[in-house]
Amino acid sequence: MSAQLLTSGVIFGLSIGSIFFLMAIGLSLCFGLMRIISLDQLLYYSIGAYLTYTLSLVTGSVWLGVLGGLVVAGIVAFAVERLVFRRIYERELTFSMITSFGILIGGIGVIKFFWGVVPRPVPVPTMVQIDIIGTEVPVYRLIVVAIAALVYIGIWLFLNRTIIGKAIRAGIENVEHVEGLGINVSRLFTITFIIAGALSGLAGGLHAPLIMVDPSMGLEVLAFVFMVVIIGGLGSIKGTLVSAFIVGQVVSLGSLIYAPLAQMAPFAIMLLILLVKPTGLYGSALLKR
Amino acid sequence: MVKAFRWWWGILLAFALLAVSRIFLPLPFVIEVVIFSIYTLGCSFLLGRVGFISFGQPAYLAVGAYGTAFYLFYFGTNPYIGILLGVLSGFVVSGIVGPLFVRLRSDYFALVNLALAVIIYYLMQKVLADITKGDNGLWFLTNIASTPVLDLGKPNHFFIFAFLVALAVWAFFKYLDDSIYGACCLATKINEDKLRFLGYSNFSVRLLAFVIANTTTALAGAMYAVYLGFVSPEISSPSRAADPVVVTILGGVGTLYGPIVGAFAYTGMKDVISKLIGNWELFIGFLLVFIMLAGEKGIWGSLQPWFGKLFARKKSPPATDVSTGARK
Amino acid sequence: MPPDSGLAATAGEILAVKGLNVAYGEAKVLFDMHLSVQAKQIVACVGRNGAGKTTLLKSIAGFLKPLAGSITSGGVSLVGRKSYDIAKMGIKYVPQDKKVFSDLTVRENLELGSYATKDYNWDRVTDYFPKLKVLMDRKGGYLSGGERQMLMIGRALLGSPKVLLIDEPTEGLAPSIVAHLRSVFTELSKNTALVLVEQNLPLVCAISSKVYAIKEGRIVAELADRESIRTDVCERYL
Repeated sequence: MSAQLLTSGVIFGLSIGSIFFLMAIGLSLCFGLMRIISLDQLLYYSIGAYLTYTLSLVTGSVWLGVLGGLVVAGIVAFAVERLVFRRIYERELTFSMITSFGILIGGIGVIKFFWGVVPRPVPVPTMVQIDIIGTEVPVYRLIVVAIAALVYIGIWLFLNRTIIGKAIRAGIENVEHVEGLGINVSRLFTITFIIAGALSGLAGGLHAPLIMVDPSMGLEVLAFVFMVVIIGGLGSIKGTLVSAFIVGQVVSLGSLIYAPLAQMAPFAIMLLILLVKPTGLYGSALLKR
Repeated sequence: MVKAFRWWWGILLAFALLAVSRIFLPLPFVIEVVIFSIYTLGCSFLLGRVGFISFGQPAYLAVGAYGTAFYLFYFGTNPYIGILLGVLSGFVVSGIVGPLFVRLRSDYFALVNLALAVIIYYLMQKVLADITKGDNGLWFLTNIASTPVLDLGKPNHFFIFAFLVALAVWAFFKYLDDSIYGACCLATKINEDKLRFLGYSNFSVRLLAFVIANTTTALAGAMYAVYLGFVSPEISSPSRAADPVVVTILGGVGTLYGPIVGAFAYTGMKDVISKLIGNWELFIGFLLVFIMLAGEKGIWGSLQPWFGKLFARKKSPPATDVSTGARK
Repeated sequence: MPPDSGLAATAGEILAVKGLNVAYGEAKVLFDMHLSVQAKQIVACVGRNGAGKTTLLKSIAGFLKPLAGSITSGGVSLVGRKSYDIAKMGIKYVPQDKKVFSDLTVRENLELGSYATKDYNWDRVTDYFPKLKVLMDRKGGYLSGGERQMLMIGRALLGSPKVLLIDEPTEGLAPSIVAHLRSVFTELSKNTALVLVEQNLPLVCAISSKVYAIKEGRIVAELADRESIRTDVCERYL
């Protein structure tokens, strides 16, 4: 394999990994703090993508669309948290899984209602390509990676340098103790959920120019996102970073070697890791069944 | 006396519903319901008796369907053998992935099964497209030979066959329920440690349940294949993962009649809603959320206590004072 | 110490529990409990494991919803309130599990305690537990059992609570630390009422002015003066 092919493969993998990472953080945080599986994050991803599409048509700017997608996704997430998740935090994991799945499916129906079933293309904000080691690399993909890196730093700062972030970390360890200190955990949950939704919306908006937006895009990405989360271990931010990177590279470089198997490779990796560590790379043995 | 009556009453209701509806409703609909019931019985068993939910049941449906399809397309013409092979494939696959999947936590389990469904979808669609004909699917309706007694090629006969199979599956599950194995399953859900102390292996109990449930699902897939005479990768697409989940919840988790009632309701609703508003997802999604928020019991699950009250003659056992163990 | 007269009891009462019934699902665990805690009093709850002592404290603190009964403090009902609201009202629960936030430093643990109560004066905490000053930058996961207990109590002190519900504070701790805690509790009670769940009877006898003996979810004895506490030592009722 030539250096050029390798380079573009790596960059491609990084950009895909970045999208997965943005979504996986939200899922991991929601699980860690609230002990819920939030499959509806895939809906906010789709919303982010569709808003990007519409806003880019209306305003001519894709970046504005991404921003709008992020915001709207966050708002919808807020609404869903208040209306639905508020009532089911105490329940077992499968309960939130099924309910969030319902929200996802219903949300897809809503999307179909407004936008129809035909896949829509979203223009890439910048068609510029730069030269790296003799390969033409799309700048857009580099921007996606850069944004993901910024988000990681931002989340890290939030969780480690702000009091709310620390409260969230504390809550991930033990919510009751946090309550006992007088801290309103209900508000903490809402904040976390909104962050997760916004990040998923961002992922959708950034991903949109790379693929066509269609109503079932959430379902198509669902399996991959969860493979990332499972490999990394639910509840660990570092874990999701590492596994998003791995999965991104495997899918990308794998497809250079033998295309059909590349999509299946993450699955094999996931099975391997689960064999050795049933809770994922960095997952902790939280909760029994 | 009451107990015996209740046992018969269950079979009467659920299957009479099916048989009677044969007269009033279009045949394709009823056949769909019957096969779907088998599908759901498997999923419900998994969720209700052992506590696992799987978002990847279409995977095993596909395994069964393609198992049958390969045989009927490439090798032979006997639909019975085809179905048998489909079931066997399901048995083998669930036996292979079972030992790993069953060790996982409930959420990982659900998602890992989903991943399997996606992989199989992808496998059938692209990787093995040479033998599966990809999205075009395998067509083998004409291959199916006439069989004595029940000609599976004829819808009328197929219905009878499917009905009998569903009855058999139901009876088998009922038998399991009443056996020690059934008690083990319930115990696994409630208190693993106690079960272990009693000498049973949680892992084996779960694994067996997993294999049984998914082999049943493969059976449904095999029957779909014979009935439709056609299989395509779409059978395992992630969007289909919702079906068994919704039906199980609709019909009430873990009851034996629930899946049948749920299958009936679901198929019926799908038909009606699709004709009315066309946006099936919207309806089903919000219905699911609504049901989850309102109560976990589902249609049959909610009705069951009512029927129980109607027929119960015995007084409920006296309330016991937990702390002293004395009866009030 | 002379027994409290009826009038003074109601006047200085900081926590009143009446007819408390609590259940876990179908299983009832607390039956018709009545308790009264005066301001600046040390009240001990003793009883075997599983008697319901932790359930009692958790119910008061709002972590469990009672089936029936009333819990009031200063005339305000606590039943049905969120646990974090009750904590802000000045009734703090220190759990039995001796767990602090292991990924956060001592400083950060205290910051969280300060956050809701808006009390950033840590002097009181370090006066009681000088060792914490030294450990400020150590992560909770690296503290010893005794240090964690100190941090837990110290954290709860922020906001000057009027009642501290402490669940088995001396369990598993070395005698020197227990002695330290004993003097801490005595000092604390000058400003704060303490409700201690304890198995350590000598400690109970030394510092409490009221003892409730709990058996199988019921209060089977209430000793309201030092004399009967000392003579009976509750053994008869356990």
